[in-house]
Amino acid sequence: MEAATIAGAAVGRRPSRLTRLLRPLAFMTLPTATLIVLFLIPMGILFVYSFEYGPLTGSSGFTLTNFTGFLSEPLYGRIAWTTFQIATIAMLAQLLFAVPLAYVLAYKAGRFELPLLLALVLADELNPMVKIYAWRMLLGRDGLINEALLRIGLIDHPIDALLFSKFAVIVVLSTSYLTYTVIPIYASMKAVDAGLFEAALDLGAGWFTTFRRVLLPLIAPGIFIALLLVYVPLFTDFASPTLVGGTSGYMLGQVVADEVLQNGNLNGGAAMSILLLVGAALFSYVAYRLSRVKVES
Amino acid sequence: MPLRYRFTRALPKAASVALVAFALLVLFGPVLLLALFSFNDSAIISLPWEGFTTRWYSEAFSSGEALDSIVNSLNVAAIVTVASVVLGSMAAWGLTRLRFAGRTALAGVHGAVLVVPWLIIGVGGLIFFSQIEWQLSLTTVTLMQIVTTFPLVVAVMSAALVRFSPSLEEAAVDLGASQLQMLRHVVLPQVAPSLAASAIFAFAWSFNNFEISFFTGGFQQTFPVWVFSVLRHSTNLPIVNAASTVIAGAQLLIVFGLWWAMKLMNRRGGGDDVALAEIMTGGMR
Repeated sequence: MEAATIAGAAVGRRPSRLTRLLRPLAFMTLPTATLIVLFLIPMGILFVYSFEYGPLTGSSGFTLTNFTGFLSEPLYGRIAWTTFQIATIAMLAQLLFAVPLAYVLAYKAGRFELPLLLALVLADELNPMVKIYAWRMLLGRDGLINEALLRIGLIDHPIDALLFSKFAVIVVLSTSYLTYTVIPIYASMKAVDAGLFEAALDLGAGWFTTFRRVLLPLIAPGIFIALLLVYVPLFTDFASPTLVGGTSGYMLGQVVADEVLQNGNLNGGAAMSILLLVGAALFSYVAYRLSRVKVES
Repeated sequence: MPLRYRFTRALPKAASVALVAFALLVLFGPVLLLALFSFNDSAIISLPWEGFTTRWYSEAFSSGEALDSIVNSLNVAAIVTVASVVLGSMAAWGLTRLRFAGRTALAGVHGAVLVVPWLIIGVGGLIFFSQIEWQLSLTTVTLMQIVTTFPLVVAVMSAALVRFSPSLEEAAVDLGASQLQMLRHVVLPQVAPSLAASAIFAFAWSFNNFEISFFTGGFQQTFPVWVFSVLRHSTNLPIVNAASTVIAGAQLLIVFGLWWAMKLMNRRGGGDDVALAEIMTGGMR
């Protein structure tokens, strides 16, 4: 950098102060304007709406009722609990599965490594609505799983709990986001110096000890990145619970959608959005800090 | 390879194969069955196989809504892809290669868009457009998708630009290249695979986007919104199978086609498969 600047000055081509000022403007004006008009302003309006009375209440001005309405009603506490359960179980299930899968991809797949990565990317590119529909077709009362189990005589009655339940939402969500859980963990495993394993084994550690004491701490940042990428979208999902959750799998994302689209209560929907956003921000901050701490130590 | 041999032996080969097979089964099995049942001659998606038919395909592609929604999605995705690649590349260049006041903060705002759930951006967009009294339509969907998608391009392209040292660019300028020549002949060949990857990701993000299309689309449906509304009413399901099969098949072809294209470009640019894997997974970080 330094040398190049000097060389530039030497041949008299150092950009003038004016060009150095104008160049960022030329590149950044359009993207920044897009962000301001279509992201920051809408988010600002959403924020303001969440503190205003709705048009139906007849009052105007600043209020906290949009928030207190949710926070004081036990129903929403229960929905929040359901949401937490579904998102957390789906996340844990994915991690339990993703760590060994990433391990196979990173260390054992050999020439299948890239094709398998491509398969994971492809799985993510498939339309999410198509994937939800495919699961619904399998899990329903007359769905293919029940049908098949009945035919081979394993069950007498179709299992109702497969669809329109928390279970269904967990299955659909876990499979929808698996790509984003596996890839960061895989990437962090690729960065590990394999000689460390050998050293650990030479020093008499068993494979489990090697995994827990050597590999796990080194891939922890990857796990936190996976949490960062996946947990918030899981928590705020509303398409999957709407289509496969029924009444027992009703989640907070659906509260937002229903307030806005069915009840026409934009202010309530805005308030719930802000609550979710604050929760997401807190969670992301903690996960981010944890991933940093692990990197530094 | 021999160094990590003993540790990798800890998981028996059979277990690894089973693990991968299970992953592929849950990821692709349901969609394959969905495709299979698009050919079943029965209005109910259920097991007795009633015989082979292609009538769901002709119904899906002769009736209005399914075809319209696919055409809508393609139009939106085409515009969003072009706009996102342009805006995203500009911003990535500015954020990684130029120095100016407020650069870190601006990079933070680009990143923030990627973290805020689409549900909330969708609701924000709905309220915003109702506030400025814009009729919700495919135009508003396109606008909101551009703002959520181009930061992804910024992420992928910034990662690529950071990988290459700016010394080549400085050398080109020192040797008398104009800014445009430098971008065209030095930067573009290096970042071409990432540019292709950004285009794939941007197109997929737009085409697959449900939340934003749902909240800011008004009465105009994109493909995911159409599937959602049909599923809510549970009528005409085999048509959804047929349309979904076509879409999934097209997505498969696109991903593989662009993969080959990227591979070619990458080879020509002197990169190896490891670099390619890095680009491919770049959209996930």
